Amino acid sequence: MLEKMAEEELPNGFVQNTIAEPNPPVAKKKRSLPGTPDPEAEVIALSPKTLMATNRFLCEICGKGFQRDQNLQLHRRGHNLPWKLKQRSVKEPRKRVYVCPETTCVHHHPSRALGDLTGIKKHFCRKHGEKKWKCEKCSKRYAVQSDWKAHAKTCGTREYKCDCGTIFSRRDSFITHRAFCDALAEETARMNAVSNMNNAVAGNINHQFMGIPLGPNMTQHLPSIFKPNVGSDDIINPTTRGLSLWMGQGSQGHEVMSTSNLQGIHQLGPCSGAMFADPFVSCSNPPPSEYHLNLVFGTKLSSSSTEELSSTTSLPLSDVKETGTQLLSVPSLYSTQHQSHQTPSTNMSATALLQKAAQIGATSTEPSFLGNFRLKFNADSQVQDGNKLCGLYGSNTLVTNLGNNAEKSGGDLSQIHPAKRRRTHNEDGAGGQTRDFLGVGVQPICHPSSINGWISS
Amino acid sequence: MDITLFTTPKEAPLFSYSNQKISNVLQAAIDMQSNNQPQNSHTSTSRSSDSGELPSASGKWASRLLKECARAISDKDSGKIHHLLWMLNELASPYGDCDQKLASYFLQALFCKAMGSGQRCFKTLNAVAEKSHSFDSARKLILKFQEVSPWMTFGHVASNGAILEALEGDTKLHIIDISNTLCTQWPTLLEALATRNDETPHLKLTVVVTASTVRSVMKEIGQRMEKFARLMGVPFEFNVISGLNNLGELTKEGLGVQEDEAIAVNCIGALRRVEVEERGAVIRMFQSLKPRVVTIVEEEADLSSSRDDFVKCFEECLRFYTLYFEMLEESFVPTSNDRLMLERECSRSIVRVLACDDENSTEGECEKRERGSQWSERLKEAFSPVGFSDDCVDDVKALLKRYRAGWALVLRAQGDHHESGIYLTWKEEPVVWASAWKP
Repeated sequence: MLEKMAEEELPNGFVQNTIAEPNPPVAKKKRSLPGTPDPEAEVIALSPKTLMATNRFLCEICGKGFQRDQNLQLHRRGHNLPWKLKQRSVKEPRKRVYVCPETTCVHHHPSRALGDLTGIKKHFCRKHGEKKWKCEKCSKRYAVQSDWKAHAKTCGTREYKCDCGTIFSRRDSFITHRAFCDALAEETARMNAVSNMNNAVAGNINHQFMGIPLGPNMTQHLPSIFKPNVGSDDIINPTTRGLSLWMGQGSQGHEVMSTSNLQGIHQLGPCSGAMFADPFVSCSNPPPSEYHLNLVFGTKLSSSSTEELSSTTSLPLSDVKETGTQLLSVPSLYSTQHQSHQTPSTNMSATALLQKAAQIGATSTEPSFLGNFRLKFNADSQVQDGNKLCGLYGSNTLVTNLGNNAEKSGGDLSQIHPAKRRRTHNEDGAGGQTRDFLGVGVQPICHPSSINGWISS
Repeated sequence: MDITLFTTPKEAPLFSYSNQKISNVLQAAIDMQSNNQPQNSHTSTSRSSDSGELPSASGKWASRLLKECARAISDKDSGKIHHLLWMLNELASPYGDCDQKLASYFLQALFCKAMGSGQRCFKTLNAVAEKSHSFDSARKLILKFQEVSPWMTFGHVASNGAILEALEGDTKLHIIDISNTLCTQWPTLLEALATRNDETPHLKLTVVVTASTVRSVMKEIGQRMEKFARLMGVPFEFNVISGLNNLGELTKEGLGVQEDEAIAVNCIGALRRVEVEERGAVIRMFQSLKPRVVTIVEEEADLSSSRDDFVKCFEECLRFYTLYFEMLEESFVPTSNDRLMLERECSRSIVRVLACDDENSTEGECEKRERGSQWSERLKEAFSPVGFSDDCVDDVKALLKRYRAGWALVLRAQGDHHESGIYLTWKEEPVVWASAWKP
């Protein structure tokens, strides 16, 4: 790339050791790419030997050499020079720029000279020098000692985190894992788009709960993701029903929410809005949104009786629109257009789950999201307040299971779910639901009745 | 010769037997042997020294018993075979300590050898393994193994380094991967291709699969690799060749080798699966592909030169697998299921080597390993060795540092100064050999 640029901006007639002609004059207000020197500067070409020489600055009085000009000045003070000679020669006006002695290098040409002597030295070393410094841990090689030192500080301390939530201290095992990770099985393009969206909404979380307006890109994005996934009406309806009920409580419960949850949500960080917008979104930028919804639901659960929740807590959007601003936290989010799935979860585990949800959702349909959603919901409510559901689903081990291994947790829950399911009059059955979570089958989305039974313990 | 095993009920040995128990069994065996003495027609000249061994039932009883049994089988001493097998049966367990595990798996092979049922047993084990193999389980297992032990990654890093250096500057790369490592070698290479060069070359990867258990998962693996290459931004093409009975059947056309491609042949643990007599032909086939570099990684054991001598072969096999099992034991957590799976995978190989006498050679399952020096002899006929560069060696050393202590890299200069390969050593014993060759 540098080479191309050099070709483009080739001014005419630069000769070494002469004054660079301003033709046309370049406005040098902002810091442009390296090696676009002031046209008025004096171009210095040093030989490699001189460049690498360590004591370039010589004291004229005693001939002692110094690496830097400042050191030389300090030394000169010691000579007790008369005032006149103390002054540096007036001829300091010309700024000096340096060209790289390596002929094949971009910076060999005066038009791309570098302005700093230390800079050109380092450049020459890095690009054209022998890499003498090697990191012990990872065997990366460096030509400049300071580069090597800087690397050694961070080498091995950096942790690599996969989208699925696993953390690695070794780069090679991270790469190999990543290649085979389930999280990669999804279209990475969508993840990227989603993460862009997340970043867009990230900022506002500190100000208000969910007051984050969904950016335009989100709206555009949503249809593309959701259209294929939007299932039949029976999928949509239960959720909307659920939401309206949930929303109905909003007025009652929201004070509780606002006070108790405010902290929690503020801790969450960016992207809570994303949750409402797009489950895929939350996949890439996890915990906050999930936390938020969890807290919301958790409070709801604890504060209000379960019947009120009746249908699902999942999937709001269309209802949100209708119910408007009953919930302090959700209005703006809900007011956004399309359906999306809220996928609360507890923490990093939730990310993993969400990702799984995203995968499953992409390939199958919404049901799996709901399946996921409920799983996370369970886990979260558990965490929350010793909710009755908690007892049902065991202790926090469930949460940690979710954290560790989405699949495994799915397995655990699947054991729990069936038991619970059987107690309720539902059609699809827990088995179907958990299968959704694991992405095995496509089942009809949770029915309100089943949710009801599931919630009431 | 009628051999019947005693069918004494075996206690469930979830934990190691106490020495008391072992000595009890061994004592019982002494009594039994003295009872059996008159019935054996060969024992008058038998060189068994059971009475000398039995009292001290400590430590390495497994290797003693196993070797004894092997000798007995070689001598066709049915009585001794009989009760040694019984003893082993009593003491062995795949869930116990190292000795018990070795006893268990080798017992299976010895039994098959004595009964002549090796081939059948092997087929059964294969079928079982294939059934229980899924992409997820295989992937988890292999990744976990690579995480706790450099056994596989040593070869991968060395080979990748050699390949990258040999193919430096080429824009169309074609790597022919003859291995059964589920393409776990390639993500790091893809990453290196993407980041090292300014212009990312096009990579075509042709994987030749020889193990039946691997075949079924290759489709999924291919998809993952393609996605990953897309993520890395490397133009990538992936092909799988399976169903070959014999590596020698590979041809340039069959592999899709084109003239303008820079070829690298990567052979990890695959040459040992070729029947001993055909290994030369396979190497010549490699030569015909005109590769820039051939990387060979093999485990360091000599099971081929001794294939006519059962006892020697057995002892070498036992030595190698003792090292392997001990390595596994120290690398994994004690309760690891993955380790159990890996040990089970060994059982097939052990049975194949010891109990299947070169009958109908099934597809590439020979498993008669050779040492690096032996492979070098073969390869030198068609190729000349390429030493690993200092950078590459440094990379491998850095890799080993990331694992537990006990691993080391040894550059063994063969007698004639030639560096034919580097060795991975576990507790000073060479276990894996990696080398690079050019035409």
